Amino acid sequence: MSDAIVSTEKAKAPKKDLITTQVKWGFRPPRNLEKLALLAQRVSGVGILAYLFFHIFVTGTIVGGPDGVPGGEDVFSGLMGMLFNPVAHIGELLVVVGATFHGINGIRVMLLELTRLVGHPLRPDYPYKTQMLGKGQQSILLTAMLMAGLSAIAGVFILFLGAA
Amino acid sequence: MKESTLQLINYIMILALLVTLALHLAMQAFLGVNGYADALSYQTAISRYRDALSVSLLTILLIAATYHGLFGLRNILLEWRQGRSWHGVVTLTTVGLAVVMLGWGMRTIVLAFGGV
Repeated sequence: MSDAIVSTEKAKAPKKDLITTQVKWGFRPPRNLEKLALLAQRVSGVGILAYLFFHIFVTGTIVGGPDGVPGGEDVFSGLMGMLFNPVAHIGELLVVVGATFHGINGIRVMLLELTRLVGHPLRPDYPYKTQMLGKGQQSILLTAMLMAGLSAIAGVFILFLGAA
Repeated sequence: MKESTLQLINYIMILALLVTLALHLAMQAFLGVNGYADALSYQTAISRYRDALSVSLLTILLIAATYHGLFGLRNILLEWRQGRSWHGVVTLTTVGLAVVMLGWGMRTIVLAFGGV
């Protein structure tokens, strides 16, 4: 019996950057709404995290600390005045829309992990149909998109039209 | 700590976040304020930091948002690449970011509540 041929060359995984990997996966066949929802969940999550990081430091200017860090009424009011403009409002609108979608779609993902929302497994008979997005999931995903749209409308009224 | 424990804590943080973030957004838009410009005024903002109930809400929001956000980022990065050293680097980086964010956020809350 001959010896098996074993390659001693080190296995190399193709090196791709994080964003390319994520976006390509989202749009690679088989395409479905669930993959796009996960991609949107990740994009909105990272965006909100970046906003949170800066938000903590911007709101931190409300106090002038004993540690010599500048802050207090003048610094805070100046900074808020600087950020009260249409460009910043568009950014805030994106944060609100992203947070609304992320929250409701996140509930769907939690229900998938913790309940029977994913449905019972079926034998894969031809023509193959994806079981991933059942009626329950579809309803929550559509609610997430609808609520994100409604929050965008509310955001426009509150941020741009001064409605209270 | 086991990954399952971290995920369990994440679920608790998500529930806290859903409630506190909804209230926080409402307080910036219409709850107890006369428009968004009023919500950004120094007097409105500092009065919230001096009210015990409001400051509790901000504290829970800060902790829940920081944990959930950084845990999510850690998951994305660990899914992207694997390996013991990468795992260590990612975990240390996220813990470092958590210390900075929680430290600075709590500094603001404590000093403002204390009337500095």
